[in-house]
Amino acid sequence: MTTAWFDDKSRMTPAELQTVTFPTSRLGRRGYEEEAVRGFLSAVHAEFVHLMNERTSLWQEVQRLRRRIIAGESDGEPQAVLFGEADAHVHAVRILSTAQVTADQYVADAQDYSSRLTLEAKRRRDEIMQEAQQYSDMLLEDAHTKAREAAVSALNVAAAPQSDEKQQAAQAELAYLRTYSDVYRAHLRAYTEGILRGIEEWERKEAASLQEAAQAAHAAQAVPPGGPRAINGDASAPLRGRG
Amino acid sequence: MDVARLRESFAHVAVHGDELPLFFYSDLFLKHPEVRGMFPVSMAAQRSHLVDALVKIVSQVDSVDDLTVFLEGLGRDHRKFGVVAEHYDAVGASLLATLEHFSGPAWTPEVAADWKAAYALIGSVMTAAASADERLRPPWWRGTVVAHEPRSFDVSVLFVQPEPRMDYLPGQSVAIESSSRPRLWRYYSIANAPRQDGLLEFHIRLIDGGAVSMALTSSTVAGTELRLGPPVGVLTLSQPVSGRDLLLVAGSTGLAPLKAILDQVASLPRPPKVHLFFGARTADGLYDLESLEKMAAQYSWLTITPAVSADPKFAGETGSLPDVVARHGDWSGHDAYLAGPTKMVRDAAARLASAGVPQDQIHIEDFGWSEP
Repeated sequence: MTTAWFDDKSRMTPAELQTVTFPTSRLGRRGYEEEAVRGFLSAVHAEFVHLMNERTSLWQEVQRLRRRIIAGESDGEPQAVLFGEADAHVHAVRILSTAQVTADQYVADAQDYSSRLTLEAKRRRDEIMQEAQQYSDMLLEDAHTKAREAAVSALNVAAAPQSDEKQQAAQAELAYLRTYSDVYRAHLRAYTEGILRGIEEWERKEAASLQEAAQAAHAAQAVPPGGPRAINGDASAPLRGRG
Repeated sequence: MDVARLRESFAHVAVHGDELPLFFYSDLFLKHPEVRGMFPVSMAAQRSHLVDALVKIVSQVDSVDDLTVFLEGLGRDHRKFGVVAEHYDAVGASLLATLEHFSGPAWTPEVAADWKAAYALIGSVMTAAASADERLRPPWWRGTVVAHEPRSFDVSVLFVQPEPRMDYLPGQSVAIESSSRPRLWRYYSIANAPRQDGLLEFHIRLIDGGAVSMALTSSTVAGTELRLGPPVGVLTLSQPVSGRDLLLVAGSTGLAPLKAILDQVASLPRPPKVHLFFGARTADGLYDLESLEKMAAQYSWLTITPAVSADPKFAGETGSLPDVVARHGDWSGHDAYLAGPTKMVRDAAARLASAGVPQDQIHIEDFGWSEP
C-alpha cells in the first residue's frame, strides 16, 4: 500500500494557513493589503477543509471497494458482496447530516428574520414615540401659553375696574382655557396609550406567528430524515400567512 | 494512555471542522433514535459545544485536577437534559465511530485504545458527579409562572413558583427552558434572596432574535410552566462578611443578581453601607427604579444612583455606567459586585482595578463550564 495522504508530513495543512505570518514590508506603503491577504487565506482554509473532507470520503469509498473485491475474490463470485451493512450506515449518516444542516439553516433564517423584524419594530416604535412626544409638547405648550395669557388678562381685568360683563367674559375664557388644557392632556394620554397598545398587540401577534413557525419546523423535523422539502413547506407557511 | 498520541490523533481529525460533530450526532441518532428528543431542533450551537468540550478535554487531559472540576460540572449540568448513565455508553460508541471514520488509516489499535481509555475516564468522572448530585437535588425543577409584569418595551419581570422548593445563594442563576422552545436553555439570575414562600423573581430582557427571551417576554402568562435547572454561579456575597461597604454596579437586567444580594444585605443584623448604580441606555430601561427607590427610602444604609447613557436630557446622571461610577469617588475600600452586558462589566472592572480596587474585591459572574 502506498503512503496515504494522511501521513504525508510534507503536505501543507489548513492549520498552517491559519497561523502563517508575513514579514511586514519595510517601505510602509509597499506590500499587500493585510485585510485582503487574510480574507484570501480564510477562503483557502475553507477550501482546504472541504477538500480534506472530500478526500476522506473518497478514501472510505476506496476502502469499501477494496474490501468488496477481496471478499468477492475469496468467494469466487465478484458480485456476491454488494452494499455492506457498514456502508449503508455511513450512507445513512450522510443523509441524516444533510437533513440536519438543512433544518439548522431554516432555524437560522427564521431567527435572523425575527431579529430584523424586532429591530425594525423598535425603530418604528422610537419614531412614533418621538413624534407623539413632540406633538404632545407642542399642544401642551400652546395650551399653557393661552392659559397664561388668559390669567394675565383676568388679572388686568381685576386691577383696572371694568364692567362686570367684561370681567365675567374674561373669567369665562380662563375657565374655558383650563378645560381646554385638561381635555387636551386627557386626549393626548389616550392617544399615546392607544399607540402603545397597538404596538404591544402587534408584537404579541408577531411573537405568536414566529412561535407557530418554530413549532411547525420542529414538528416537520421530528421525523428524521423527513427530507428538507417537508420542513420548508411547514415552516414557511405561517410566515407567509402573516397579514 | 499516551497523551501525546491522543493529542496528535485529535489534531488530525479536528481539521474536518463541523463535519466531525455532524457525523457524531447523526451516528448517535441513527443508532439511538430515542435520544434525538433530548436535543433542540437546530443542532448548530450543539455541535460547537461538543467540539469546544473536546478541545478543552484534550488540551487539559494531563492536568487532571482542572479537568476533573470541568467534567464534574458537566456531569451535573447534564442531569437537567435527562441524561442517565446508559446514555454514556451510546455517546462513547458514537464518539469512537466518528474518530475512526475521520482518522482513516491513522486509526491504529493503539490510538483506538487511547481514546477508549480517555472516554472511560471522562464518562466515569461525569457519571460519578451526576449520581452524587442525585442524592442532593432533583435534575430540574418545575416552575409555574404566577405573575408576568411587562416593565418596559423589552423587559419583563416574571415571578415563578418552583416545585419542590429551591435552595440557592443570592446572586446565583438558573437555566430556564420554556415549553414553547423545547431543549433550549438560557441562564437567568434570580432577583431575590430565598423567601418564605419560595417564590423566584426573574428579569427578562428581549434579545433581538433571541428564541428563549422572546418566548419568556411575549408568550408567557400566569400559569405557564417552565423548567428550571439547578442554581449555579459565584456572584455571591463573600462569606464571612468582609465588613467592607458594598458597591453594586448593574447594567440593565444585570440588576437581577445584585437585587438579590441587596435583599440579603437587608436581612443582615448590621448591614454595610451599599451604593447601587443602576444604568440603562434610556430612562425607559430603568425598569425597576420604583422598587429600588422604595427600598432606598426604607433603608438608611442604601444609596441608589440611576444613570442613563443615551439620553443627554435625562434629569439624573448621564454617560456610560463605568464613567458614572468612576466620577463618584474612591471605591478602593469597597467590595464591588458587577453585573450586566459583558462589555459594560469588563470596562467597569478595568476602571475599578486601575482606580485602586484590589482584584479580590471585584466580583463578577464566571459561568465557566455552565455557560449555555
